[in-house]
Amino acid sequence: MLIRQLSVFLENRQGKFAEIARLLGNNNINMKAFTVSESDDFGIARIIVEREKIDTAYNLLKSHSYAVSIHQVNYLNSPNKPGTMAIAMEELSKAGVSIEYMYAFADDDSHNSHLVIRTNNDELANRILSEL
Amino acid sequence: MIWNSKIECMSREEMRVLQGEKLKKIVAHAYQNSPFYKARFDEHGVKPEDIQTIDDIVKLPFTTKQDLRDNYPFNMLAVPMSEIVRLHASSGTTGKPIVVGYTEKDLDNWTEGVARCLTAYGLDKSDMVQVSYGYGLFTGGLGAHAGVQKIGAVALPTSSGNTEKQLQLMQDFGSTAIACTPSYALYMTEEIRKRNIDMNNIKLKVGVFGAEPWTNNMRKELEEKLNIKAYDIYGLTEISGPGVGGECECQNGTHLWEDLFYPEIVDPVTLQPVAPGEKGELVFTTLDKWGMPMIRYRTRDLTSLNYEKCACGRTAVRMSKIMGRSDDMMIIRGVNVFPSQVESILLEFPEYEPYFFIEVDRVNNTDTFVIQVEVKPEYYTDQINQLIKLRQRLASRIQSVIGIQPDIKIVEPNTIERSTGKAKRAIDHRKFE
Repeated sequence: MLIRQLSVFLENRQGKFAEIARLLGNNNINMKAFTVSESDDFGIARIIVEREKIDTAYNLLKSHSYAVSIHQVNYLNSPNKPGTMAIAMEELSKAGVSIEYMYAFADDDSHNSHLVIRTNNDELANRILSEL
Repeated sequence: MIWNSKIECMSREEMRVLQGEKLKKIVAHAYQNSPFYKARFDEHGVKPEDIQTIDDIVKLPFTTKQDLRDNYPFNMLAVPMSEIVRLHASSGTTGKPIVVGYTEKDLDNWTEGVARCLTAYGLDKSDMVQVSYGYGLFTGGLGAHAGVQKIGAVALPTSSGNTEKQLQLMQDFGSTAIACTPSYALYMTEEIRKRNIDMNNIKLKVGVFGAEPWTNNMRKELEEKLNIKAYDIYGLTEISGPGVGGECECQNGTHLWEDLFYPEIVDPVTLQPVAPGEKGELVFTTLDKWGMPMIRYRTRDLTSLNYEKCACGRTAVRMSKIMGRSDDMMIIRGVNVFPSQVESILLEFPEYEPYFFIEVDRVNNTDTFVIQVEVKPEYYTDQINQLIKLRQRLASRIQSVIGIQPDIKIVEPNTIERSTGKAKRAIDHRKFE
């Protein structure tokens, strides 16, 4: 399914991510997942928070002058066992969907894996992944 | 050695008489043949007849870089295009460089200036000069080249860049002098070290360094590492190019060839001449340049002049090292850069905010040129590649307009200082003493 993700532009400086984590934490917003990708002097933090809190998080970051945006990404929840991810990737590849980036996280008990996938065609990817 | 001892060692009194005669002629020529100067002189209420001696020069109005831009490309020429044999241009604001046209005689005079410099550095027909200034619209390459041929030395026109080849030819051909920016020469010393090149294979004895400000520490370093004598060559496109002046073996000030390029020092605020020996803005009047005379051209370089006779025997006035600028121009890797150029390029991009901050430094002997910019909120994305591409597009555009590649640094929103007044838009960490 498609879910909404926060993206925050960060200069590559010590303590930058701590600032954001503290800001969200102080406002009782829990990050369910995040990833940071970086170039030589800047990075983009992609953050998944609880669905009902994403707009609050967005406004909070915005009001603190962060360059924040919301994008739709694919979210796949599947059993945490060998081969499940391979199937998903093969199906996307067959349909000509290419992956821009993705990141995964697991449940507390590790029964399920959660995959966030950003592709060049997120609508199509969503249809394919829903049919798995 | 002195190339033209009659002129270079002329008594001050004789020189002033000569300068007065030449000034009279060039002012009359400018007034009669350049609509720009006629209008400017009329507006100022000064006629060619008012100029009788060199002291009358203070009656004349100033010319600025802005005048050159406003009259782009050819409105300042004082001869028909059929008399012009060469054009040079230097980078200017977006799309508008400044253009200088030369007659045959102008080129001869320019070359004469370079020949005097090269001879003062101890070079003659037995030498081979590797000209590693850029050849093209930039005056450095072709200007130095002509002077080298004039003194009968061998010109090796390697132009700038391709350091590996430069070093190879330097060894194979046995170049005895190199003409380039001092920072490029320092870069070469690094490459020589990295490649373990045996200094015995390098026959250089003289460095002809200019096109950017440099320090005595750089001189020391270059002289030690390359086993040469390093000399300053001064010039600017508006006045001709390199060879407006140069150092002698005393290395105690840059002699200016004042029979061709008459220097004054004025207070950059009041525009009144300063007391002899005091620091101020250098102003040139070209006394023997016919294609495009420059009358009291404000160079914006801050320096002082010393009229005492030099130990080398020359009486030609000596200029101290350039101590800074009276405007915000920076010379980065030998290229003139104005913050306003960056601003106008930034305005072409809807993705960027119109704010920026330039940081210049010198790291491992190479100038660094970092521009901080902010992306507009709606253009921030979750995809890092898009930001990298956006950054690359700006860097390429700046490279093509200004001539050097900047390092673009995208910063977070609202981090660059906003100011309605005179915002400080650049900082130069390089030390020029």
